[in-house]
Amino acid sequence: MTVFDRPLVRRHRERAAAGWDGFDFLVRETADRLVDRLDDITRRFPVALDLGCHGGEVGRVLNGRGGIETLIQADLSDGMARRAAANGVGPVMVCDEEALPVGPASLNAILSNLSLHWVNDLPGALLQARQALRPDGLFLACLLGGATLRELRTCLADAELEIAGGLSPRTSPLADVRDVGNLLSRAGFALPTADADLITVRYETPLKLWADLRGMGESNAVLARPRGFARRDVMLRAADLYMERHVGPDGRVPATFEVITLTAWAPDPSQPQPLAPGSGRTSLTQVLH
Amino acid sequence: MTDSEIPPAPESGALDTEDLLVDPRLLEILVCPLGKGPLEYDRERRELVSRQAGLAYPIRDGVPIMLIDEARRLDEPDPGQGEPAA
Repeated sequence: MTVFDRPLVRRHRERAAAGWDGFDFLVRETADRLVDRLDDITRRFPVALDLGCHGGEVGRVLNGRGGIETLIQADLSDGMARRAAANGVGPVMVCDEEALPVGPASLNAILSNLSLHWVNDLPGALLQARQALRPDGLFLACLLGGATLRELRTCLADAELEIAGGLSPRTSPLADVRDVGNLLSRAGFALPTADADLITVRYETPLKLWADLRGMGESNAVLARPRGFARRDVMLRAADLYMERHVGPDGRVPATFEVITLTAWAPDPSQPQPLAPGSGRTSLTQVLH
Repeated sequence: MTDSEIPPAPESGALDTEDLLVDPRLLEILVCPLGKGPLEYDRERRELVSRQAGLAYPIRDGVPIMLIDEARRLDEPDPGQGEPAA
């Protein structure tokens, strides 16, 4: 099913690349967290791919950590890939997560920081990632989950219902942590795990949040989105509702980002294997008595 | 690809940066994103060519652009150098 307008996702990212400094805080935060996870794995990964590398934040944090010798940085946006190239960590290319230009079993690890939530065919992208990994290769990714911008979603929906008398898809549908875990298994990964963290950013005004979302290249790119500019009266009403409902003692409003982290491995015989069902030799009754 | 001279002679008004070569570590792993067929590196035209898909992917400043909708179709005439001279 095609939900996202990928050429638009790309244009958003190109636009974001032009003024990326100042809007990269969330991506830098999640890059830190992602590399922390990698640090917990005492393993060497000679060749790794940073899929959807933005401005090269993961590469900058890695800086030789994590047992990675060569980090290939790839982004859908030419502008972002050029920014990433400036960190001097490793080779860069422009590619689409939905059509990965990487040969089978050629990578030891794939990292992905806050990019996969814009993919239409996540099962297909995960399958291609798994095939690009060598046996026992690591897949470590984070993406935005369904609780992201929950305050904004309800305020926008209520404002639009009130003013326009109907709803249109103004925010992107995002994955649920359980669903993504299942997708990893379906893509043939071994030992999959998925967990979620909430990051709250506090804004002076909701309008500041919208400016940030544009700056991050995370504007709505749903194919069925309302065309043309968003209705000003709807946006202003949503901003009012947001302030009314969520303003804190510091006069600021919170915006929640749910970050889902996925860890999985390309299958290898050396990994722990489950026994075939029915192959047990000891009855539970014997153990319990 | 008989021209083995390095760097390739710049075409009309080409920038120095266009002489950047693709990182060999990339060439080792890259395949065509459409069908995952093998690629040939055409150093002179700065393209990665997939005969199987009939597409040539441009290389800009040493960065391969592996997007199907940015690729040149091999059955179409070459529009100059495949991209506007900067």
